[in-house]
Amino acid sequence: MILTFNNVAKAYGGIRALDSLSLGVERNEIVALLGPNGAGKTTTLEIALGLRTADAGEVRLFEAPPHNAAARRRVGVTPQQSGFPDMLRLDEIMALVAEHYPNPAPIPEALARFGLGEMARRRAGTLSGGQSRRLALALAFVGNPEFVVLDEPTTGLDVESRRRLWEVVRHLGRGRSILFTTHHLEEAQALSTRILVVDHGRLIFDGDARALRERAGGRSLTYVGEDGPVSVTTNDSDAYVRAMVSAGVNFQDLEISRPSLEEAFLSITGGIK
Amino acid sequence: MSSLSLLRAHARAGFLDLVRWPGYVVPTVLFPAMFFALFDLPFARMRADVANATTLAFVAFAIVGVALYQFGVGIAQERGRPWERYLRTLPVSTAVRFAARIVTALCFGVLTAAAVVLVACVFTPIDLTVAAWLRVLAYALYGGVPFVLIGIAIGYWTSARAAVPIATACNLLLAYAGGLWLPPGDLPKAVQTISPLLPTRALADLLWSVTGDGNALRGIAVLAVYTVLFAIIAAIGYRRDEQTRYA
Repeated sequence: MILTFNNVAKAYGGIRALDSLSLGVERNEIVALLGPNGAGKTTTLEIALGLRTADAGEVRLFEAPPHNAAARRRVGVTPQQSGFPDMLRLDEIMALVAEHYPNPAPIPEALARFGLGEMARRRAGTLSGGQSRRLALALAFVGNPEFVVLDEPTTGLDVESRRRLWEVVRHLGRGRSILFTTHHLEEAQALSTRILVVDHGRLIFDGDARALRERAGGRSLTYVGEDGPVSVTTNDSDAYVRAMVSAGVNFQDLEISRPSLEEAFLSITGGIK
Repeated sequence: MSSLSLLRAHARAGFLDLVRWPGYVVPTVLFPAMFFALFDLPFARMRADVANATTLAFVAFAIVGVALYQFGVGIAQERGRPWERYLRTLPVSTAVRFAARIVTALCFGVLTAAAVVLVACVFTPIDLTVAAWLRVLAYALYGGVPFVLIGIAIGYWTSARAAVPIATACNLLLAYAGGLWLPPGDLPKAVQTISPLLPTRALADLLWSVTGDGNALRGIAVLAVYTVLFAIIAAIGYRRDEQTRYA
């Protein structure tokens, strides 16, 4: 196991952030951590990285407490956006972070794989939002860590750059474990091998994207009836159609679809009842 | 990856990030030299012994100002920033990061003091030997440590807004009462009684001992007491910040 949470609880001044949360990340997994705002995603990451300590329960990072230096030498993390020392060059920031790891990647290569090779000597203060995001990702990987934690890796990027970054992360993810948070269901589906959904500080789903859609259950059914378009959600679309036919309902353009990942997510987190 | 290479990497990054702000470097490095040129040069250029004493007092002022003011304010402004939070996720101990700050501060302090010495060497009959200058350097580095720790304590115990006036007040009052601007004998009587207890006076005494004027042992002892005291206060401030920010 790379990371395990066993009944972890955390409260801030009486407000419960994590409530008996249990989860695990195994070797060679890419795990997406989803949840509505305030569900406990950030707290989960902060506890996993040893930035905060849990009130109760057990947290193990590489079989050690998360603040253990030997364990942390095997972990790479993305800094939060827009927080670099303005006057340092990209290669200097990379070199500073690489210094903490036993077997770092060569800096030029570590920058080039995120499309920053040409900018090695630029100062961090001159980066655009998208470039900062890429530098943050490059820093998470520069130490060649076994476990990489990405906090909203592509927030604020356009679709095109997001897709390109997924490509790079997928490539670099081989032979590593990755835990990332995201607000984009599409990103969770594109990158992860497993999805965890937390809500109100608890784990409410653990499985792949397909299972998440199954879990939401039901089918949505649309057709054009005598009085115009109709949209129905049903647990048994087959029976519904049979009933329509035997009742002689006049319908055209019948479409039956699974709920989208987004709809599934909203239905299990209570966004849509 | 060793503590020493991490210390060097953090000190280097801290130094480069500061040295590239002209708005920081120019006033910081030149202010004590300019002050020295404006107020002390008229007297210092007359006699070698006055030149020696005033130059060493301004070496102390340079070290104290950089350590106290710039680093106190720097920490107060940085501690809430995302980069600081990120550095906490890296496998590096707090002690190494503190040590790196001290090294960065002392480098700047020495640069700032060098500007004072340059002015003195060009315009005054200052007559210290090479061996004496080396002792000045060693004493300045030793004596700079408690001031960096006072700066760190200010950084962790005050808000970003309050740090500037508090550090400025500490710097100017300690410089004045410690006899860095006026010879201690010319200070008002009340100030003369507290002056020997101040870290600035201890640093000045230590530096003056190079020309046989100050009491080196007393200076070393007083500075050691301040080092221990403010190491504790700074560490408590750091823990307190950690508790409120990352509990």
